[in-house]
Formats: sequence, structure tokens, C-alpha cells
Amino acid sequence: MVILSRNTVYSVLYLILSFFNAAIIFLMSNAEFLAMTLIIVYVGAVAVLFLFVVMMLNINVVQAKEGMLRYLPFGLVLISILLIELSLIFSDLPVFPESNTKINISELLNNGNSNTKAIGLHLYTDYFIIFQISGFVLLVAMLGAIVLAYQKNENYIKQDVSRQLDSDRKKAIKLNDIKPNR
Amino acid sequence: MNILFYLILSSIIFSIGLLGIFINRKNIITILMSIELMLLAVNINFIGFSNHLNDLSGQIFALFILVVAAAEAAVGLAILTIFFKRSGSISVDEINKMRG
Repeated sequence: MVILSRNTVYSVLYLILSFFNAAIIFLMSNAEFLAMTLIIVYVGAVAVLFLFVVMMLNINVVQAKEGMLRYLPFGLVLISILLIELSLIFSDLPVFPESNTKINISELLNNGNSNTKAIGLHLYTDYFIIFQISGFVLLVAMLGAIVLAYQKNENYIKQDVSRQLDSDRKKAIKLNDIKPNR
Repeated sequence: MNILFYLILSSIIFSIGLLGIFINRKNIITILMSIELMLLAVNINFIGFSNHLNDLSGQIFALFILVVAAAEAAVGLAILTIFFKRSGSISVDEINKMRG
């Protein structure tokens, strides 16, 4: 529905619906913090951003749907190949072994930590460098978006402080030497 | 819950996103939304394996994927707005102005 709907606003709303469903699946999989983060980040920020852009751009709907049939067979062939390969892999999937990795969820939860506290305990210690880098990625994305969307407006009169301070009496006043009696 | 359900669900969502990239050649906003769907499929895979293997690393990496997806959406939409301002269209087929 996200990709097939004719109006882009509807497809954004279907995207929100699918993110809600994914958040419910996360809740069922003992990832409460990520479910709430998904709802806050996507429904609160990204989907509103999409809706804002869609409504701001005012796209011609009929013209936007042309050429859908031209690429449909190629896409169908590609994703059917992908799905067939994936189903072949899944059909004789080896049983995954029980984890022997270092961060054990049930051990953490048995020590009285909530899911959020457990994530925080390991996010700020073991994954601290990646955490800082992801913060930097967000900063760069914000700066990039602002620089891209910023438009210089030349239509208003602005005070130029350096030019003001630079001028003095000699530049502003011109003395004409007028001889008398002429 | 079986891990196979997570894998099937995420591969279906990933294929929907991939198909969306192919059939919506006239609308970059829908292509961006398809990319969001594919990232969501990857996240579902991470959470499923995190639940199955009883390991918290999957949830932490899913959080990082959320960060990258948000940054990508912001930059993509900014590029989209200035492109629409310049050319008056959001069709992929018309983005060939940078050809030499």
C-alpha cells in the first residue's frame, strides 16, 4: 500500500501504519525501548517531515503515476528471484545455536534492570565510540539539510556593522571650497 | 516465537520496498519511503535475532540503524526540495542534468 497508492499523502499514512505494526512486533520481542523509539522517531519526526514535504511540493498526481507499468515486469522478476532464493535458504535453515555472546538479555533482566536501563548500560560503555559517531552523523545531517535548504534573501535592507564602523568623517562629508565674490 | 517468522516477514517487507523503488520512477518521495521500508525490514531482522539469541547487541545496532535512517531521510528531503525548486518536477527520469 505504501508503494501502490495513488496519492502520496496516503502512502505516507500507510508508512506510519506499517511502522506502528513494526513497533508492536518489537514490543512482542522484548524490545520495549526500541518500540517506543520507533514510534517517537518515525511517527513523530520522519513521517511529519515527509508529510510536510509532500504537502509543500504540491505534485501533480496524474503525471506522477506515468510509467509505472514500464518498470513493473523488471521489478517483479527481480523480487521474485530474491524471494525464491530467500525461501530456498529458509527451507533448510540450520538451527541457530543458543547465544554464547557477551551481552545476555535474560541475565541482565534477572538482575533487576529494565530493557531501557540494560540498553543504556551497554550503549554508554561498550559501544561508546559508535554512539559518539552516530551523534556526529546526526549533526552532519542537520547541518547538511540546513545548508541545502537555506535560501539567501536579497530583498530586505540589512545593517552592515563592519561597513558602519569603517566609515569616518572624511568618507561621509565632502567639503567644497567655494570662493567668495564670484 | 520462531525465528523463521521474523525472517519471512522481513524478507517480504524488504521485497515490497525493492519493488517500490522500481515501479515508482516518477516520484522520489515514494522511493525515499521505500528505502525507509527496507531499513525497517533490516531492523525487524535485528530484533528477531536479538530475541532469538538472547543478546542485547541486536537492539543496540537497531538503534544505530534508526539514527542513520533519520539522517538519510532529512538529507534526502532537503535535496528533494531544492531539486523541486530548480526543476519543478520530482521525476527520476529527468535527473540527468549532471551528465557531462
